[in-house]
Amino acid sequence: MNKRHSGNSKRLNTSLIALIGALSLGGCATTSVEHQTIASKDDPYESINRNMFTFNDTVDGYLVKPMSDTYKWVTPQFVQTGIFNFFNNLKNVDVIINDVLQAKFAQSAEDTGRLIVNSTIGLGGLVDVAKDVGLKQNDEDFEQTLAVWGVPRGPYLVLPLLGPTTARGISGAVLDTAANPASYVGAPIQLVSWLNTRANAQGSLDFVQEGALDPYVFIREGYLQTRDYLASDGKSQAALDVDNELDDNKVVVKNDSAASNKANHTLRLSSAEQTADSFNGVTRSFDETTKSFENANNKIDELAKQRNSNKLQKAK
Amino acid sequence: MGLKNVKLVAIFIGLLLGMSNVFAADTSVATAKQVVDKFQSELIAVMKNGKQLGFTGRYDKLHDSVANSHDLNKIARIVVGKEWEKLSEEQQKKLVDVFSRLSIAAYAHNFKEYGGEAFTIDSEEETTRGGVVVYAHLSIPNDKDVKFEYHLKETDKSWRIINIVANGVSDLALKRSEYTSVLQRAGFDTLIAKINEKIDNYSKL
Repeated sequence: MNKRHSGNSKRLNTSLIALIGALSLGGCATTSVEHQTIASKDDPYESINRNMFTFNDTVDGYLVKPMSDTYKWVTPQFVQTGIFNFFNNLKNVDVIINDVLQAKFAQSAEDTGRLIVNSTIGLGGLVDVAKDVGLKQNDEDFEQTLAVWGVPRGPYLVLPLLGPTTARGISGAVLDTAANPASYVGAPIQLVSWLNTRANAQGSLDFVQEGALDPYVFIREGYLQTRDYLASDGKSQAALDVDNELDDNKVVVKNDSAASNKANHTLRLSSAEQTADSFNGVTRSFDETTKSFENANNKIDELAKQRNSNKLQKAK
Repeated sequence: MGLKNVKLVAIFIGLLLGMSNVFAADTSVATAKQVVDKFQSELIAVMKNGKQLGFTGRYDKLHDSVANSHDLNKIARIVVGKEWEKLSEEQQKKLVDVFSRLSIAAYAHNFKEYGGEAFTIDSEEETTRGGVVVYAHLSIPNDKDVKFEYHLKETDKSWRIINIVANGVSDLALKRSEYTSVLQRAGFDTLIAKINEKIDNYSKL
């Protein structure tokens, strides 16, 4: 399947990372790599995830990409930008809620300003006026809030049609959907939003196709690192491993025995058992999400205190 | 000694210090920040002439830029993790060679056009283990900035880039996962074949 398109590669591929978040479809796979499962503590269900990745890729190649290409072809660029801006503006409601839940009160005021400016002067969100006046857009969602509250990430999962996520990501996505006004509009408008997202992701999908030796691993690592980066507000965690890796490869992968045992245990399971096991993981994550919401008030207070003391320390 | 003499001595000392600084700057090796700065400038220069140069032209221009600023030997060694020790000397050489060519080809392919982008170095920080992290960002017109962290180590008295983290995604960590996965699942020959295939594709795109 040839998926290279020169038209969209204008943008520097360094923005790949920003686009990885938009990979709502598992993307394009060259799945000729032999099937032999390697234990990974982040991805204990690799075998079944790879199958799902191939499935998504097939659906994407035969159905979604042709639809997205047609959409791009018939829709003028300014309309595409308007549609992106409209849905992006509605997403701010979710962003503001999560600003507050993470006790980022100044940021929530900024995002509220953004929502008001774009919804009024920006013609209901079609024009991103806030960007022109220098109001930067923050990226927050429920999964990041759950991460800040200490809910564990859980295993990496590839969902049918929806693509990469984690157990915690599923809980987050359910809440994000509920908190986004766009979720309550009719199916045809949802479809336009979806096609627009897919069309915008073409550049990053091309980048993966062109550069990745193993697209499945590339997307998994890119996704997990990007989510960690966003949840930690840019305090890149992946970077901290470099010194260890330089020790003549002696400490290449930090594998705690519990995680490794869990991965080995999972590998012994059949495909159906792996699916059931992963569902259990998601259920556990839902339970932890519910529990964490019971203490939401205390958590916000604690975070607010932490942020204030950090500010004071910086001021000194 | 009168006030005038004191002033003269002060000026003389000042001149001496100034000159010694000039000599120090001349003889010392480039700092980590300078290595990054030079590399970024060369990259932008190639982007500006990207179309005229074509892939081969960009590859040739970037060959020395990448080889002199990155520690490609060490990076190639890290990306295969523990598998490195299982490779024969010949295989190790082969890996370093194709890995280096792929790295340069990737730059030549991805930085082919110029649309007003600019690199800015923000700060630098020493790590506890003797390395340096240079923080920079790439401004892209009408788009969000991309934050870069360049991780450098001193090798043979010169600073070399070991890892680049772009918006939180570590190139080294990502490549390490990919390379070890392909090696373990399909073996050395497949890894080399896949790398060569990528280099070939880059040259045709």
